Amino acid sequence: MPVATPTRRAALPVVDAHAPNGAPVDHAAAAARFTADEPRTDWHDGALWFVREKRDRQAASLPEWEQLRELASQIKEHTLSHLDEYLIRFEERATANGIRVHWARDATEHNRVVHGILTAAGSRRLVKSKSMLTEECRLNSYLAERDIDVIDSDLGERIVQLRGEPPSHIVLPAIHLKKEEVGETFHTHLGTERGLADPQALTAAARAHLREHLLAGDAALTGVNFAVAETGGFVVCTNEGNADLAAALAPVHIASMGIEKLIPRAEDLGVFTRLLTRSATGQPVTVYTSHFHGPRRGQEMHLVLVDNGRSVQLGREGFWRSLKCIRCAACINTCPVYRRSGGHSYGSTIPGPIGSVLTPGMDLKRYGALPFASTLCGSCAAVCPVKIDLDAQLYRWRQLVADAGHAGVSKAAAMKTTGWLLARPRLFRAAGAFGRLALRVLPARARRLAAGPWGRARDLPPAPAQSFHAWYAARERAGGAAGRGEGPGA
Amino acid sequence: MSDDVQPGAARTAILRAVRAARPAPVARPDVGAAVRRFAERRDGAPDDSALLAQFVAAARAGGSAVVEGTRADVPRLVAAAVPVARRVVSQVAGVVGLVPMPDMPHGLADAELFVCEAVFGVAENGAVWLPLSRLGERAAVFIAAHVAVVLDRRAIVSDMHAAYVRTDVAAEPFGAFFAGPSKTADIEQSLVVGAHGPKEFTVVLVGDG
Repeated sequence: MPVATPTRRAALPVVDAHAPNGAPVDHAAAAARFTADEPRTDWHDGALWFVREKRDRQAASLPEWEQLRELASQIKEHTLSHLDEYLIRFEERATANGIRVHWARDATEHNRVVHGILTAAGSRRLVKSKSMLTEECRLNSYLAERDIDVIDSDLGERIVQLRGEPPSHIVLPAIHLKKEEVGETFHTHLGTERGLADPQALTAAARAHLREHLLAGDAALTGVNFAVAETGGFVVCTNEGNADLAAALAPVHIASMGIEKLIPRAEDLGVFTRLLTRSATGQPVTVYTSHFHGPRRGQEMHLVLVDNGRSVQLGREGFWRSLKCIRCAACINTCPVYRRSGGHSYGSTIPGPIGSVLTPGMDLKRYGALPFASTLCGSCAAVCPVKIDLDAQLYRWRQLVADAGHAGVSKAAAMKTTGWLLARPRLFRAAGAFGRLALRVLPARARRLAAGPWGRARDLPPAPAQSFHAWYAARERAGGAAGRGEGPGA
Repeated sequence: MSDDVQPGAARTAILRAVRAARPAPVARPDVGAAVRRFAERRDGAPDDSALLAQFVAAARAGGSAVVEGTRADVPRLVAAAVPVARRVVSQVAGVVGLVPMPDMPHGLADAELFVCEAVFGVAENGAVWLPLSRLGERAAVFIAAHVAVVLDRRAIVSDMHAAYVRTDVAAEPFGAFFAGPSKTADIEQSLVVGAHGPKEFTVVLVGDG
């Protein structure tokens, strides 16, 4: 539906977080573009590792950390296994609290519901705080086409919004940017001095700019960290205070949540508030942990429950536990692939390990590369505060991607050849002998070429003197002196 | 995307899909029992002075200023903590607010200082619990440049488990844990205090001492 040309809105580019035209995401190619700038890659890697280390210090400071993770995992699994009952209970209690509950099967329906609420209230200026769900639904562009001003009020989200980019991280939306780039963006859009790159000064400029928008907003949209079935309320955790300020000023407050954000009782919040921020940023708690159990006097409060593929994931035996996610990003911060490829290389709203298990189910052909954007090192599963078996799920997706024929021609061929070779021991031993010879006689450059993409950034190891098979056979003949510990080494 | 927009169609469809997709039932863990075991693993319950010391250290680590005195000292302590404030909004008896609470929260936009009472503090993270009844208006505590909260030094709980036992979060339409001034690290991971909310947060600990 065409709309009148907007008169007031700053012309912001419309962001599409996804690959154009649904083309398959080529993570490796996008990562190669990112790593082409080596100093920047190192900086990005270090910035995220710094956050991961802060998380480690916080986790180590609580003797009951592992028990908390187990509790959180069980609470979430229990809730998901009774989700329909909890949704009904939540709706009933929230309605009794004066919150109007809406349901949306998919992204379009969510956007339509939000637009309907805004239209009915006569709201034209929506102040939005951080919500990955609205990124997933691409709400901003939907509303922009309908002449609604959308202002992202989280500092990181505002920076990427002004630049016409999607967030590259779910907690630190602008983690991929250097302060000089933020300075340029603010110079262009907020009129700050050219060359200003001091985070303190840039934040002050953003505060003044966003304060005007916060005061002028006639509707606020927030995400939801936790919704409590027994009390019919929801909790929003922020450090900046933007979500609260927007919601406390605007005559309309809309909260958008995925149906998996439910927990049964208020006492469960004790478990999750202790885990969330420690895992996310290494703080003991967010600056603001706000509990909403009804609108302000004279305010409308709406809550939209969104499915958008979650019920399908719930029905996938090997994958439903991914819905336990509380969006802390600990798995993203620790991932050796994410840290060196950047969030945009995943081409999905949620990047990193959790994105790579949540997104493929949306479109296996398009996101088939994501489960392969991993070393399967298991670090993600080790830090996950709700104990999602991320590494196992990544591995499972790989099987499904390959079975569906989306693994790529060269990968499929290589796997097929390897399988064929491994099934033929004699041939395999001959190939091994040939390989050891090649490693010894070929020049380094040829060796690397022979190793294919794997050899691009690696030197091959020196060839061992004999194969394990030969060493073992010789050892058996010599009487198999146990514990000699002399391997087949180089 | 189905085009049927009957009220309730989405609800029915989602609930039906969820019910069909439910994994095998998982039992609800006994959170209360688990929390009691955490406490048993420590060397007994910390006494009040240990809790208070932990609270003060955590609050300061989070960027809050902490000052101590008696009830009678509150006006003087607040004035000393935020000496520049003239446009003061106060919810605390004895602290004179020159600006009455406006009908619309937007009227608070230029408030320099907001003063209110906290119900209790949390030792493990230095947060204080402020429900709507203590705030008067939700926006006040987010919009003022400086915030000072008055907290009874004996009203400290050990951790977030105890916090949710101590208060019924659903008793009022709004309530929040506050753990210092607003912050962001969105630009190159540099910590900047004073993002959108208050730039300074002062906890005034009072007791009969």
